[in-house]
Amino acid sequence: MQASSPNVARGCNVRRFVGCIGTVLLGALVVFGVGYLLHQRPAPPQNTAVVVRGTANTSQGTVPHVFVHLATYPDSLAGEHGADGGSEPDWVSYGPTTGLTVPAHSLVTVTINNYDGGEEITNPYFARVHGTLSGAATVNGKPMTRANPDHIGHTFTLHAAPTSQTPLFVSVPLPAVPDSRPIAKGHAYPPPNVVTFSFMTGSAGKYVWNCEYPCGDGTYAKFGGPMSARGYMSGTLTVT
Amino acid sequence: MSTATVETQHVAEPPAGGIMRRLNMGTAILSGLVLALLGHLIAKSTLSESDYLSSQINIITMACWAVGFMAGIGAFVAPVRWLRGADLNHAEESFLAGKDQGVARYFRFTTDHKVVGIQYLVLTMVMLGIGGTMAMLIRTNLISSNTGFLGPQTYNAMVGLHGLTMILATIIMVTGPFGNFIVPIMIGAKDMAFPRLNALSLWLLVCLVPVLYSAAFLGGIPMGWTGYAPLADQGPGGVDSYLMAIVIFAISTAIAGMNLTTTVFTMRARGMTWNRTPIFVYGVISSVGLALPAFPMFMAAELLLGMDRGLGANFYIATGGGHPWLYEHLFWLMGHPEVYVIVLPAVIALMEITAVFARKPLFSFNGAVLSILGIVGLSIMVWAHHMFTTGWATGMNGSFMLTTELISVPTGGLFLVIVGTIWRGRIWTTLPMMSTYAMLWNFIIGGVTGIYLSDVPLDYALHGSMFVTAHFHYTLMGAGLTGAIGALFYWFPKMTGRMLDKTLGWVSFWLVQIGFNVTFLGMFMVGLQGQARRVVHYDSLFTSGNFVSTMGAYAIGTGMLVLLYAVVSSWRGGEVAPINPWGAKTLEWTVPYPVPLENFEVLPVVTEDPYGYGHPEVPAEPEPIPEAVPVGASSGAESSTSAAVRK
Amino acid sequence: MATSLEAGERRRWWWSRRDALEIFGIWAVFTVLLIIFSLTVPRALMGEPASTTMRAVETTFIVFTVAASPVAALVWAIALYSLLRWRRKGDWTPDLDDDGDAIRGNRTAVGLWIGVSSALCLFLLVWGLAAMQAAATPTSARNPLVVEVTGNQWVWTFKYPGEGGGIETNQLYLPIHRDVVFKVTSDDVIHSFWVVEMGIKVDANPGQITTTETTPERIGVFNVRCAELCGLLHADMETTANVVTPAQFNTWVQAHQAASQASAQGSAP
Repeated sequence: MQASSPNVARGCNVRRFVGCIGTVLLGALVVFGVGYLLHQRPAPPQNTAVVVRGTANTSQGTVPHVFVHLATYPDSLAGEHGADGGSEPDWVSYGPTTGLTVPAHSLVTVTINNYDGGEEITNPYFARVHGTLSGAATVNGKPMTRANPDHIGHTFTLHAAPTSQTPLFVSVPLPAVPDSRPIAKGHAYPPPNVVTFSFMTGSAGKYVWNCEYPCGDGTYAKFGGPMSARGYMSGTLTVT
Repeated sequence: MSTATVETQHVAEPPAGGIMRRLNMGTAILSGLVLALLGHLIAKSTLSESDYLSSQINIITMACWAVGFMAGIGAFVAPVRWLRGADLNHAEESFLAGKDQGVARYFRFTTDHKVVGIQYLVLTMVMLGIGGTMAMLIRTNLISSNTGFLGPQTYNAMVGLHGLTMILATIIMVTGPFGNFIVPIMIGAKDMAFPRLNALSLWLLVCLVPVLYSAAFLGGIPMGWTGYAPLADQGPGGVDSYLMAIVIFAISTAIAGMNLTTTVFTMRARGMTWNRTPIFVYGVISSVGLALPAFPMFMAAELLLGMDRGLGANFYIATGGGHPWLYEHLFWLMGHPEVYVIVLPAVIALMEITAVFARKPLFSFNGAVLSILGIVGLSIMVWAHHMFTTGWATGMNGSFMLTTELISVPTGGLFLVIVGTIWRGRIWTTLPMMSTYAMLWNFIIGGVTGIYLSDVPLDYALHGSMFVTAHFHYTLMGAGLTGAIGALFYWFPKMTGRMLDKTLGWVSFWLVQIGFNVTFLGMFMVGLQGQARRVVHYDSLFTSGNFVSTMGAYAIGTGMLVLLYAVVSSWRGGEVAPINPWGAKTLEWTVPYPVPLENFEVLPVVTEDPYGYGHPEVPAEPEPIPEAVPVGASSGAESSTSAAVRK
Repeated sequence: MATSLEAGERRRWWWSRRDALEIFGIWAVFTVLLIIFSLTVPRALMGEPASTTMRAVETTFIVFTVAASPVAALVWAIALYSLLRWRRKGDWTPDLDDDGDAIRGNRTAVGLWIGVSSALCLFLLVWGLAAMQAAATPTSARNPLVVEVTGNQWVWTFKYPGEGGGIETNQLYLPIHRDVVFKVTSDDVIHSFWVVEMGIKVDANPGQITTTETTPERIGVFNVRCAELCGLLHADMETTANVVTPAQFNTWVQAHQAASQASAQGSAP
């Protein structure tokens, strides 16, 4: 390393220093700006905290009991994307929200109104009910442990269990609404299949859920579009 | 660029150039946009509704953009003349070469190799800036286990675009700026063999930049830079941007590779036999020569992907009779030669630099050439080591392990040449020389970790983890980018006429090198602990390693910004450089700045290799002196080397 | 370092030359440090192996690092020494100052270098082939547990065709010390089935069955990750591998058998 030549003016050094710091700050600003823009979109699901409504007696004692109401639609007009359906109104979607927050060590009862039709599921494993209380769910009031794998509308499949949090796996099929079911006057969709199930949460953690019925677009495996974009056929479950 | 001198000669009447006078980057963008819009509307209104419609529209729109842009820049002026049975006249050629156009020539379809070199340099810096910004965002997202800073969709797209941007930028970062600006002068040529193709290759790259980043607005790319099918078949419109960008890039690379290879093979100065050709020239042609068979593979892979997405061809879809392994093979047939396309010219530039600053002849020139040839030859036979875990032909894993491990022998040869050149040298620790030292440190780590990955059982454990990410950053960035920055430090005086600010250069050097090692040693750590690549969030087990990595990344970012400021400020008003500040003996250091349009008034004649440093113990056999008299090169020099130093 | 001495110095043996001796010293120190590093750090990071495969992987990693140590140490030692002793200090003018020796090659050095690197390369190859051979010993003769793994975007599911008349589950349970063969496939895009602490990984390709096998040798809960970017929720495509005693495994099989049958025969509206 050679010493800088002695005739470099002090003013030049100051200018160099300022210019250098300025460039670094400008670069940081650019990174921050791009990050700020990308952080906002596509908009993360609005986290909806589910309110505790009473308690439930389970094998683990008396625990808080919360109720979650969701629905699946053949479009995005009723979900979290606004009345006009946002940028992709034709995409199937869960609604009214895909970001759920529930308390730890509590009983969660989920009710999903499925308004959508469907066909054969790729992996029949997801046509059966897994991980719920007593391994069952109800559809339109009748008990269900499996659905016909040829007529699945969607599934609600909750998973992701890195070792540092309590494993949680719940998968419930939502039977398809037959195409023949008539649409009542004044309604946008035919009467839904109402699926209800309950599961227990463990300690705090972050989970994801998604649909395992190939209902997206894309020319392969139907897992593109709404299946591969946040806020449509997948969401988060935060246990606090 | 503002220091480019505006020559004030009188323009001959009538002004040459014709329509070319009106064409520049502005008309190119305009005509590209108009044609793209036209193509979009026509495709939308004529094509019938199907699953493939959106891809068809995307591909047609982007192809129209490319054609429109290239027409608007003037790439088709000469071919149209040929169709009309004519060609450009001398005045028009001179105009095309950028004669008397000042700064404007940097925004035109200019054929002068020095202009193209500067354009490549700026383009590389822009792409490194974009890729670096994305790297900062990725590392920010990974600063702790579950930041939620970026959504998974954005994160996946960013990982892919960061990778692709950096790969494209690093492929062109040595052979583009220095291959174009320096190599023709280094071999004593007036220009490239095909000056118009040279401009074409550069402007195709400019043309692909908006195509590539349109992916960000078309849903991103979900599959990383490798673009594995069938995930790419499933992906949103961004995948169309990806594949079109690759197709354009492959065309550009093929043109540039053919051009540089032809130039070096046919246009070397009189007397510049292969053993008097500077080693850097070998580095450049090995790189572009290797790209010649490699990138068509990538192009083919993406054309098939385009047919899958646009026409339902099912090349990569098992249920349709295709197979995803086809994509992986085509990709890695490009992908492994490609890493040597990146690393070879950078490391060999450092070899050239080492001889200058150790003030010694290159150690074992023939060994260096043989090592380069060995690497080039072996690198096309190792691709399936990227596929050990795919399950494809497990019986062949042993042979690919063999070829991969064999490559360590010629790579060791490169180390021997550099270490041997340093041995008992009179080391002048300038910035370019210190880049060699940094490379020796980084590339050893990158190389040794590469050996782990070549071992099949070890690869089963490490493949797809952060260990791999750290490994290839050590080679491509630790050796490749370090070499390119060293080359920039070294040739900056010749390309800009100014010395690069030393103080800022050192600040940048240490920030980048220390930051780099912190970042990727941290990444090795989490890789060995078991963190998968390309994950938007991770187990809290990996938090400390990732935090360290992110801090290192910020240091790299800061260092690169300091370098950017150093380059821009020195270019505008740095200390004026002498013709040969380093006392080097290659031909480019004999020409003044600004380098004349045709480089040499009289073409030089070479009588010995450019490594005549020091005092040979045994005097070499006196060379028979060629009949032609070397003018302006060898007069008054201490030896008969044609590339002697002008004082 | 004076030029006049160089001719004389060259005739002496290397160990009588100061620079060569000092480089040798630095090299020895570096080698020892690197070997200490190799023996401690990788094992600490990779953790206690959970399978025979992982045990072999860690051994190979350590052996390779040890083997690379002297080579890396040599390059770094010469580099460091050249910076300390051969560096030109202060300002310097290219044409006035002395150049280095015009050493254009050295047959002994080149030959030695090629010989040593080829020998090392051969060693790595033989080691790797031997390790592959050891891993390829057929476990089919030893009554292995067969687990069929299916990757779906973004969930792993497992089938145990040979246990309790066939179990289908999202949980991976393995009995300790029993060979296990994973038959891996995918329903959609490419995934990669990776049991981290067991050191096994194989891609899940659509329309193709790939296999990988190992023998768990430690009771515990281990990580299963997807190692190939597979779309939106790739980072969440994780589950656990539970290695238990054979008795616990049988209990688990029976419990699951009951649940599976209840589910399979249950009501479907």
